[in-house]
Order: sequence, then structure tokens, then C-alpha cells
Amino acid sequence: MYTKSNISLSDKARVNEILEVILAFARQDFEKKVEIRDDDNLLDGIGSGINMLGEELEHSRISLAEKEQLLKEVHHRVKNNMQIISSLLNLQSDKIVDKKVLHLLRESQNRIKSMSLVHEMLYKSQDLSKISLNEYIESLCRSVYRSYSQPESHIEFEFNLEGDLLLDVDKMIPLGLILNEIISNSLKYAFPDKLGKIQITFHAEANKFNLTVSDNGIGLIENFDIDKDSNLGIQLIYMLAEQLDGKVSYKNHNGVTYLIQF
Amino acid sequence: MEIPIHATEAKGYFTWMGNDGIARTCVKPNLDIVLEHAIENSKIVSSFFVDKKFPILIDARNIKSMSYEARHHFSAHRRETKTNVFGIIIGSSISRVLGNFYLGINKPAVPTRLFDNEQDSINWLKQFCS
Repeated sequence: MYTKSNISLSDKARVNEILEVILAFARQDFEKKVEIRDDDNLLDGIGSGINMLGEELEHSRISLAEKEQLLKEVHHRVKNNMQIISSLLNLQSDKIVDKKVLHLLRESQNRIKSMSLVHEMLYKSQDLSKISLNEYIESLCRSVYRSYSQPESHIEFEFNLEGDLLLDVDKMIPLGLILNEIISNSLKYAFPDKLGKIQITFHAEANKFNLTVSDNGIGLIENFDIDKDSNLGIQLIYMLAEQLDGKVSYKNHNGVTYLIQF
Repeated sequence: MEIPIHATEAKGYFTWMGNDGIARTCVKPNLDIVLEHAIENSKIVSSFFVDKKFPILIDARNIKSMSYEARHHFSAHRRETKTNVFGIIIGSSISRVLGNFYLGINKPAVPTRLFDNEQDSINWLKQFCS
């Protein structure tokens, strides 16, 4: 057993040498190694163990970096594949004259875009599993607006997004699709005179997230019945909210307001 | 460990098959084992194979160090090995650390135990001879 009093000067030097190597590992410098002498010495044993730990650490760091690169590559490919699907729908739409079919194709394209945006942001992010909610919501709104905007339309977006929350992909995809449906509905039906405002509020409250999307448009038809009058978009909102273990409520007063809690 | 005349001498080891069906390999003193040594040893050990896998006793008491690549080779993961169990004799501080490190971190693919002496190791390995 080594105690303060019986450590020799040469052992002290060796202990310092070992500490230097441990500190180098802490700085992620794995070039340094404890020199192992030929004698059967306890410090040689400790040094040998530290050298091996350093090698394992170095290799696990490389392997982690490789996996991160691979994950980035996967997100990039998923995004590219989704863009290809979107482009194919675009090409198909060139040959279609039926407005209803064109409309359906555009809706599908937007749904694909809302998902591909998540993957695009994921491969560009530092954290490969989470993305900035604020950045995503604003980018998505811009993208949907570009898709539905017409000449002379003046629809303003107002964002009230709490902090800069990071959400994981399992939440972001359904949330993006919900937003896509609500905003698309507003842009398509709420503003016949092409003038209005869409407000998006997101805040966290006691382990729950609240997303509120409201427009100041003409509102839903009188006596709107969600079971009878809803289109695929509204059905999707309810289905996706369930996927988030959340619930949906809406108000039809001075426009339409949707509240999603999850 | 007594090395018989018929043992095969490689850069890092003496290796032979015992009459009891247990292969033996003895690490040369103060050796820094690298992948080349490990592969060379595996080839020699595999050459003893006839029709059934066999146990191997490794005398690592004189070892100085073993590289990351060599440790992973000896762990026998993702490679075919003709041995069914490892018994490793340790003695020095370094061999004790290395042996425990190998068991705990590299986790060999076949049953492995560390021993302080040759006889205990042989007694344990015998049960795996077919």
C-alpha cells in the first residue's frame, strides 16, 4: 500500500507522469502514453491500464463521430428522397388540367415538404436528434405561404414563440404536419379579399406544450360540424394530435383559432 | 510453464498442443503484443484443429502490453476461432490489469477465466475437452 510517507521520489515522478497522461485524455489528446518499464511494478500495472483505457476512449470517440456522420447522411438522403417525390408530383401536375386534382397534388407536396424540412434541419443541426422549434415553424410558414400566395395577397404572420425550444423528430414531424394543415386551410379559405393575419403562439406549461394558431379571416361555415363538414386536412389534424398524445380544440370567433395541447 | 521441444516458436509466443487436448501458448518476456503477433498466434493455434474445437491455456505472466487491435483480435468477435474456451494465467501487475481489462472491456466471445497458477487453469479447461 502506498502512503504519503513511503512514496519514493522516483515513484512520485511516475505518479505525476500517469496524472499527465490522464489529463491529456481529459483534453481528448490520446497521443500521450504512460511509459511501461520492464519491471513488475504496481505503477506499471496502473499505467498499462490507463494506456488501454486511452485506446478504448479514442476508438469509441472515432466510432461515435462515424455514427454521427452516418446519421447526417441518412437525414440528407431522406430529405433528398422526399424532394424527389415532391418534384415528381410537380411534374405530374404539369399535365393535369383538373383544378381539383391539381389542388390535391399541391396539398400532398406541402405535406411532404413539411416533413422534408425536419430532415433538412436535422442534418444541418449540431444535435442530430432535435431541432429548433422557432426556426422550423418560421421556415414552414414561409414555405406554405410561398405555395399558396397569390399576386396582391397580403397575409401577415405573427409569431409568439417561447424561448428557443428544441423538439425531437418524433414530435416535430406530426407538429409540422398539423401546422401545415391549419395554415394551408387559413390561406386557402379564410381570406377571400387576400388580406389578413395569422398568429402562431407556442409555449410550454407544466409538462405540456400549447400551440395556438389563429387567423382573423371569415371563419368556418355557420354551424360547422367537425364530424360532418371536415375535410382530410382537419381529420389529419386530429389524427396527428393523437399521435402526440395531445388534444385539439377550436374556436370559430373573429376567424378561426386552433389550440393543440400535447 | 515448461515449453516442450516440439512447440512452434513465433515472434511473440511459443505455442503447442498438449497430450491432454488443451492447446498452450506462452507469451515471450517483455513483449508488446501487436496485431501481427495476434494473427500469427491464431494461425498456429488453428493449425491444431482436426474436427473438434479445443480449449487453450494462455500464459500471459510475462506480457508487457497489448495493442487495441490485438486485444480486439483475441476477443474473437466476428472471426472464426477453433478454440472453445480460454484460460489465462496472470501474475505480474501488468498481466493482472491486462487480463481483467480484456475480460471486462473486450469481452471475449468464448468462456474465459483468469488464473494465478497453471494447475487450476488446466483443471478448469479439462471439462471443455471433448
